[in-house]
Amino acid sequence: MPRDMQLEQLAQHTDAALLDRYAAGDPAAARALTLRLVPRALGYAARLLGDAAEAEDVAQEAMLRLWRAAPGWRSGEAQVTTWLYRVVTNLCTDRLRSRKRRPVTALEAAPEMADGGPGAVAGMIEADRMAALQAALDALPDRQRQAVVLRHIEGLTNPEIAAVMDIGVEAVESLTARGKRALSAILAGRREELGYEDED
Amino acid sequence: MKTRIDPMRAQDDLEDLFATARHMPVRPSAALLDRVLADGLDAQPRPHTAPLMRPPAAAAGGLWSRLAALFGGAGALAGMGTAAAAGLLIGFAQPSNLATLEDAMLGSPLETVELVPSVDGFLVGN
Repeated sequence: MPRDMQLEQLAQHTDAALLDRYAAGDPAAARALTLRLVPRALGYAARLLGDAAEAEDVAQEAMLRLWRAAPGWRSGEAQVTTWLYRVVTNLCTDRLRSRKRRPVTALEAAPEMADGGPGAVAGMIEADRMAALQAALDALPDRQRQAVVLRHIEGLTNPEIAAVMDIGVEAVESLTARGKRALSAILAGRREELGYEDED
Repeated sequence: MKTRIDPMRAQDDLEDLFATARHMPVRPSAALLDRVLADGLDAQPRPHTAPLMRPPAAAAGGLWSRLAALFGGAGALAGMGTAAAAGLLIGFAQPSNLATLEDAMLGSPLETVELVPSVDGFLVGN
């Protein structure tokens, strides 16, 4: 069977079903899981760390742990993505502790984003806005940053975030609310610079 | 004069930034995907690994493996080997302690034991 067709069929499987197939020795499942999960692990790590190279290392390490956990994986105990986000969170926390938060240099270190393609000027504005968002995220306390990124960029629900962060749903709501207020305050002074005044 | 920013507008700006971020995902490089996939294939359990591995391992053992199987396992073979070695040692060395033990049990050195009467004696008796 051609590889593309095989991947298309596997794309309909749940993460847990793919992990089962991987553990049973199906190499196509390894490819499908890689394509599905690496972008999520990488994107989340990049937002937490503000450093593309470190985010790649974290994503690779988290996936390696998933491969090793696959043979003993019990479906129904935890969602694969929840588990993966938790591992990425822990790996990023370790890295942030060890490097002792650098001063905000996110404009230079911001991860490379996919090109939206709406034209060069608009693209530059978007890139500036993303860099500003990353710089503001970097300024948040770790837990607030994790909660805000999981909720508003990764699109997880509050109960899912609670499972990832091992806290209650109310604590998640509190963290995201405080995080958003802090982000708004940080970005408020840059509205004009980021091109928002012109749109009113 | 400092412009005062409407909190609602600031929230809208933030939501706009989040929406942009969601539509501009971090794209993994081909090299990263290759590395992750290589890790995955390396760590992947191999189906039928155990049954396929066993016959070559048994063949590699050769004579000893077959002997062990014949006598009921390596443990039994080792026990028999030890007993044979002990017998050989006792036979060659004839330890003095063994002679003492023999005397103690039998009373005197045992020269001959006639288990079947000789034919002559048998004939005389008849």
